[in-house]
Amino acid sequence: MALVRKDLRLELRTRETIVAMVLFAIVMLAILQFGFGTRDDDLTRFVGGLMWVTLAFTAVLGVGRSYVAEREQRVLDGLLVAPVPRTVMLTAKAIAIFLYMTVVEIVVIPLVGIFFVKGPYWDAIGWIAIAAVLANICIALSGTLFSGLALFTRARDLILPVLFLPALVPVVIAGAGATHAVAGGPHDMSEWRGYCLFLLAYAILFALVSVATYDAVFDD
Amino acid sequence: MITARGLVHAYGERRAVDGVDLDLAPGERVALAGPNGAGKSTLLRVVATLLRPQSGTLALMGEQLPGGTRAARQAIGYLAHDPLVYLDLTARQNLELYGDLYGVDDRDARIDDLLDRVGLLGRAEDTVRTFSRGMAQRLALARMLLHRPRLLLLDEPHASLDARGAALLDEELLAATSDGRAAVIVTHEVERVARVADRLVVLRAGRVVLDEPTAGLDPMAVRRRYEEVAG
Repeated sequence: MALVRKDLRLELRTRETIVAMVLFAIVMLAILQFGFGTRDDDLTRFVGGLMWVTLAFTAVLGVGRSYVAEREQRVLDGLLVAPVPRTVMLTAKAIAIFLYMTVVEIVVIPLVGIFFVKGPYWDAIGWIAIAAVLANICIALSGTLFSGLALFTRARDLILPVLFLPALVPVVIAGAGATHAVAGGPHDMSEWRGYCLFLLAYAILFALVSVATYDAVFDD
Repeated sequence: MITARGLVHAYGERRAVDGVDLDLAPGERVALAGPNGAGKSTLLRVVATLLRPQSGTLALMGEQLPGGTRAARQAIGYLAHDPLVYLDLTARQNLELYGDLYGVDDRDARIDDLLDRVGLLGRAEDTVRTFSRGMAQRLALARMLLHRPRLLLLDEPHASLDARGAALLDEELLAATSDGRAAVIVTHEVERVARVADRLVVLRAGRVVLDEPTAGLDPMAVRRRYEEVAG
């Protein structure tokens, strides 16, 4: 918890990451609104894709900043020489990313309803939120792993999106599918459940991969 | 405390550390010197478990690495060129973080004591960003000592410490012999460190070219001996 508290203290003091992520997401939703039509157009059937493309690119922005303090303030050696298992470091960073994404989604999910949906949407918010929590776990685990890998490369700002975005494709597909299943029409709960199970399986897969490889990322 | 045999660490084709043997007993303080690029800092980072040797064996505090790395890390205090503290946290928040990472039982009392000793108690609630370089390095000294390490690994510590910090460091190093702590001090200031070290190890091109006691020698004599072998 000390590492999570540290990340949150840094964020509360600097407000660099969350504010940038939220603003980026809002701007992207506005661009999509203008790009796809006018306010009068009903974009309900695209709502899943619009939401999760926005969240995926916002995640890339946030994950890209996850080790900025350690890198720019040259603190990483201090953490690495401490007797802390690398998986604990991974978990702490993943929790911070999870919390940042949650804040973004608290803004984005209602805004998507306002921007794009004509039909019933608000009664599906709870189901979308559950899918978002599962997707956040996937984003946090894969993002922590890839940002750790990119940390030791020279072109880290280029490498991270190249590694991370392909890993987000299944999350976008499942997140969009789960959202589409419950938003803007009769709820298809079996479809929603299937996508959520997929997200859960993907999160477990990345948790296993991360635990198996994270020592090597930092020690080799 | 350190038993290293045939340590090798290379950056690409270049061997920065090339077959180094090093032994350090409890209470010993070794000055590790050598010209620029001799491999001093790389050797220190290998011993600090920040770099893995590509060959050779390393045991710290009796724990063979890499198996005993976590136990060894608990005993290491590492002072680098950089203070290894977050600029946007306060001095106290930084020490709280490290106190938690090392599981320091009397964390808050220990932090107050160390901040007082390094002369930063009055600035404990200020962010490190507002500190001078010397103050940040004094905080780094407090960070290093926080968990009562048994093995001190110092990379050119006197280069960035101000007079107060340097005096406190020398005091800690001189006290090390009596309580069984050991220290490796990477330095260019051989005659200065000769006052607190009891052995001089000189590296050149990644190899140990001198390893002999300095206790009782005049610091200038140690300097001359260093220059003879360092080239």
